Amino acid sequence: MASSQHVLLSPAELAYLHASLSLTPPIRPDGRSPTQFRPLVAETGILPGTNGSARICFADGTEAIVGVKAEVERTAQRPGEETVFLEEGGAGDDEEEEGEAVDKRKGDASWVEMTVEIPGLRDDDSGTAFLSAMLSEALLADGEFAKRLWINRRFHWKLYLDIILISPPLSYPLPLLSLTTHLALLSTRLPRLKSEGDEDPFFDDDWAAAPYLYPRTPTSVAKPTATTTTTRPPITLLVMAVGNNIIFDPSKEELAVADVALAVSVTSTASSHHIDTDTGHPAAEAGRNLRLLSIRTIDPPSRLTPPAVANAANAAYGASNGAALGTQKMLEARTAETEAVEGVWRAPRGGAKRMVLGALVQKVLERGGVVDEVLDALEGVDLG
Amino acid sequence: MASLKRSVDSDPFAANISSKVYVRSTKSGKVQKIVREVYLRQDIPCSSRLCQSCLETAPRDAVGRPIPFVLSEAPAGTSVFPQGHYLVPDTNAFLTAMDLFEQSSAFYDVIVLQIVLEELRNRSLPLYNRLISLTNSEEKRFYVFFNEFRLETHVARQEGESVNDRNDRAVRKAVAWYAQHLTRTGAKKLPAVVMLSNDRDNLRKAKQEGISACSLAEYVKQLKDADALLDMIPETQDQETVKDKRPGEPLYPEYFTMSKMMTGVKSGLLHQGIFNVSPYNYLEGSIRVPAFPKPLLILGRENINRSIDGDLVVVEVLPKDQWKEPSTQVIEEDAITKNENPDAEETGDIVSEKERKALQEEVKRTHSKTTEGHAQPTAKVVGVVKRNWRQYVGHIDQSSVSQSAQQGRKQDTVFVIPMDKKIPKIRLRTRQVAELVGKRILITIDAWDRSSRHPIGHFVRSLGELETKAAETEALLLEYDVQYRPFPKTVLDCLPKEGHDWRVPQSVEDPGWRDREDLRGLLICSIDPIGCQDIDDALHSRPLPNGNIEVGVHIADVSHFVKPNNAMDAEASIRGTTVYMVDKRIDMLPMLLGTDLCSLKPYVERYAFSVLWELSPDADIVNVRFTKSVIKSREAFSYEQAQLRVDDHSQQDDLTTSIRTLLALSRKLKQKRLDAGALSLSSPEVKVQMESETSDPIDVKTKVLLDTMSLVEEFMLLANVSVARKIHEAFPQTAILRRHGAPPKTNFDELANQLRVKRGLDVSVESSRALADSLDACVDPKEPFFNTLVRIMATRCMMAAEYFCSGTQAYPEFRHYGLASEIYTHFTSPIRRYADLMAHRQLAAAIGYEAIHPTARSRGRLEAVCKNINVRHRNAQLAGRASIAYYVGQALRGKATDEDGFVLKIFSNGFVVLVPRFGIEGLIRLRDLAEPEPAAEYDAETYTLKTSGSREVAVELFQKVRVRVTDQKDETTGKRGVKMELISVY
Repeated sequence: MASSQHVLLSPAELAYLHASLSLTPPIRPDGRSPTQFRPLVAETGILPGTNGSARICFADGTEAIVGVKAEVERTAQRPGEETVFLEEGGAGDDEEEEGEAVDKRKGDASWVEMTVEIPGLRDDDSGTAFLSAMLSEALLADGEFAKRLWINRRFHWKLYLDIILISPPLSYPLPLLSLTTHLALLSTRLPRLKSEGDEDPFFDDDWAAAPYLYPRTPTSVAKPTATTTTTRPPITLLVMAVGNNIIFDPSKEELAVADVALAVSVTSTASSHHIDTDTGHPAAEAGRNLRLLSIRTIDPPSRLTPPAVANAANAAYGASNGAALGTQKMLEARTAETEAVEGVWRAPRGGAKRMVLGALVQKVLERGGVVDEVLDALEGVDLG
Repeated sequence: MASLKRSVDSDPFAANISSKVYVRSTKSGKVQKIVREVYLRQDIPCSSRLCQSCLETAPRDAVGRPIPFVLSEAPAGTSVFPQGHYLVPDTNAFLTAMDLFEQSSAFYDVIVLQIVLEELRNRSLPLYNRLISLTNSEEKRFYVFFNEFRLETHVARQEGESVNDRNDRAVRKAVAWYAQHLTRTGAKKLPAVVMLSNDRDNLRKAKQEGISACSLAEYVKQLKDADALLDMIPETQDQETVKDKRPGEPLYPEYFTMSKMMTGVKSGLLHQGIFNVSPYNYLEGSIRVPAFPKPLLILGRENINRSIDGDLVVVEVLPKDQWKEPSTQVIEEDAITKNENPDAEETGDIVSEKERKALQEEVKRTHSKTTEGHAQPTAKVVGVVKRNWRQYVGHIDQSSVSQSAQQGRKQDTVFVIPMDKKIPKIRLRTRQVAELVGKRILITIDAWDRSSRHPIGHFVRSLGELETKAAETEALLLEYDVQYRPFPKTVLDCLPKEGHDWRVPQSVEDPGWRDREDLRGLLICSIDPIGCQDIDDALHSRPLPNGNIEVGVHIADVSHFVKPNNAMDAEASIRGTTVYMVDKRIDMLPMLLGTDLCSLKPYVERYAFSVLWELSPDADIVNVRFTKSVIKSREAFSYEQAQLRVDDHSQQDDLTTSIRTLLALSRKLKQKRLDAGALSLSSPEVKVQMESETSDPIDVKTKVLLDTMSLVEEFMLLANVSVARKIHEAFPQTAILRRHGAPPKTNFDELANQLRVKRGLDVSVESSRALADSLDACVDPKEPFFNTLVRIMATRCMMAAEYFCSGTQAYPEFRHYGLASEIYTHFTSPIRRYADLMAHRQLAAAIGYEAIHPTARSRGRLEAVCKNINVRHRNAQLAGRASIAYYVGQALRGKATDEDGFVLKIFSNGFVVLVPRFGIEGLIRLRDLAEPEPAAEYDAETYTLKTSGSREVAVELFQKVRVRVTDQKDETTGKRGVKMELISVY
């Protein structure tokens, strides 16, 4: 879909754009630095009837709304799994299991249902399906998210994520949708559970008491500088490379000249104690612990752009007489077709280079890098 | 980017809009977040007659008149607020002391806040209904103020504020607003606005904010008759305000959480049902659950775990080694716990030494049993889903009153023994012990803590001296929840304006005559008990030219006078039935209708609803039709008069012959019914004869059965069946019918076994026909009463008949087991039964007389009506019987008569004797037989009890005995009861 959307740029313009993005430092058409995001406005809690909702508006006019609804659902008992007896959960068992209580929780990918709606596209359009697959993959990849929906051994929350792009897709909407989903999940609250063990769930009717799906630890008074280090929902970023330059959050035009485009899903996890004891230093506590969840290559639209013709091969510039061409000229013409000629637009060919991919991932996971910046920014959004 | 959210800054109307967010859990397990928008307005009036400004803006009714304001301009004052005051109670005040607000001596001009009303509804529906009826009564001046919708009093919940705190704040804000609002009226004597609360925190905050506020106790002390009113403030509340409760040793196991119980019930590990206490043994209860054919037994205080008869409880079945037989012993609470001290701090065990001994006997007996099969599953109560506490009538246990309390005015703790034996005794704190001893009093249970052996209650009001007619009758009415208050004005307004002068219109053109048949020419008469004023039914018969006979049953056309959905209809549907006490009748409809305008009195024209059959001489129905009519009854006979007239062969007039025809037909009808398997059951019925002047009971007579009674009965049954068919045909989903379920076979196990062991008789319960036949076979040639005795016992094994709405059951379930009829309804007594009135309306619609009213067609409403009238009907029966029992006791007062009786039930330490002459049952305990108590040997297999030692008798089941019936007043409990002494065994 949007990735293959036609860009109305001439080959010469494409070549110019490519050239300027290949510079060190690259010069982006809108003057951003390579790691800079487009400015965005975000708010949460816009849909009062949902468990959590968010809306993000990019400066280029693209806008998305995400609503999260939760429902209690009975967990299907599979044959072979130990059957859950009510009495068990109650008395003796708990004490010995207390230490590894978290491990009891299981999640299942079917507990999350996601629908993506892009105006002007059918919901079974391959582009939409791909977007939705990427977004849910990011959520479910490590299995940690679904565990949050665990109520007890017999029940779980089923989460319905409705992702709607409400503007025309002016640029590839993946980052927008992902950030909005992230924000919506941050603001999602589930009714407080009052029952214990494996009883039929019974909830507090006071909405104000409902805990957040991603609990926020308030920054403690003692250490005002300490940031929250708890787990956050994943975000999926669009990163592209032109030559050796890595560019975040490409606009539509930039994407049209990308050599490689990647969708990288990252999550931030609470710094666990194992790592701390290994390093022997609480450094991990201060920052975020970023974890790579998935990488997807996006078919860059640049491949579909019309190629330019080098002057040498252009009949208009006197290269018309094929018969008169000497072997030298023939060679030149071949070079022009296969090798890049300065100032002449050629769609990139072949896959991404391994070095570039490595550099991309590293750049994404960099501490204090773009992801941190984005997460900090989203954390700053008031959850109302 | 402009925010999509509604914000206070951007929206000029934002101040008027607020929202309320909460989580709703549905029955099916869904959990939803609900957001409600609240639109705030400023035209909700304060409803004080002092206020002019509200009167201008208040919403008006359809005619444009303002709705009259409720709160008085000169409200009553107290010692602290001499200028007069309006009360604003919080939810807790209503929850704990609703009785106070119902007092007529105080508590006028009360502002009921919407938030309080809503909270009350969530906490207790009965209390909510009581409050609603208070707000409807004009003289109490209770005003519901919608504080949540008024802009100035709406309170938004703050960050981190609990719901309760927010609601308390809302109450305070409303109080503050009222006070401030009233100052603007410029009235000279400005009433204070007083908040009533028992929450100390709330009171403290009110003080800080400068709002006048009192606790209930403080407030009541300002009133005139403080002492009597103070008693009505519940016990627990007292402790909360006075001192922190001492953490008592918990005596009872803790209840499960609600979710744990519900999960257990759903998964079948726990069972839910209504808890019933055995009438003979207060330590034994039973609960019928769908999972088991037989009820589960619940034995002992600990297992009963604070449940009271009627509560909806959840139980857990005990392991098999704890299964027991139902007790064969009589254990009465007042005998065993007689000398308990109500003041004593109850530490230690819940099961007192004596109770333990009683139970020990049980265990010993079970262990000595060789037969295993008899043990029944037992269970223990693990939680209460819904308390079914009501107000109880009782009297103070004199032995629990300390000497000092007899004179002083200080608060004292006493026990109250409820009239209903199934209710445990209740601890009561009162300041007026001296006045209350020897009175019938009404009390309410407040709580039953884990640390308290007995439930704690508070005093509501006194009904009067024990054994005075007024007090005892009122006690019965209260105990059986009979609505006995006079009809309110709104109901009386629905009566015809002409009053007793109402006549059937002369002109046939009158709309009243529309579609009515003129049956004034027929020889119609009514046959009823002596002195009957509300004549529901009348009959006629006449030969037809083709040799068949036309028979008509004419029923009072009550539905002509009681239109659906007006105040009178609503009142009648609540009352459900007329209640007949020995000396009093509590009418369902106002007197004017019941005894005059509707009643088919002789010699006057009356509207009627007629069922007309053409019957063949063999009493087969050739055809039937229904019509509204006008009739003129020729005579109102009593059963006796009619019988005399029929038997007197010199009487050959048309009326008498037509009665004879009816009689002949009724015999044939009865025979057909019996052939179909109708049961003839029996209950000991007696009639109390009263002295006409003083209406003191002088004698007790057993009812005599006359042919004419059976005559009326047969035709009424026939009419009911015909009508049932017709309305079911017209309204297959919503017809109001009556069914009588086949009794479960297990109900008869005990009786069948007893008959087999004692008499070698078999009871077969395959069908009603088989049962009828086997009951017929149960005869003892030497003892004619034996058959009746078996029938009485069989009746007690039956299910209760019930009203239902036809859509709720499958057709085969419509069956009336006792009458052996496929379909049945009640149609023939609309003056005294609401179900009949509904049937009238449906029949009228079925024959196209009038359009059916939506209420007679809505299934939900009909089901609710059925549910209510089933309960009312049962209560009316019980109240009637209790009234007879009381008067029988009074008639026997001071006399000692020797009578024949039969052993109905046998225990290891006593037996129950039925005296047919008085229709009473009495318990004779071993210790009543002789002094000292004779030793006894009880054989459960053969149902015999042999005593030895001080007196030697052998008593067995069904045995005829001679007993001396006396009345006896128990000096310690102040209770009069019939006492029986065994004279000899036949």
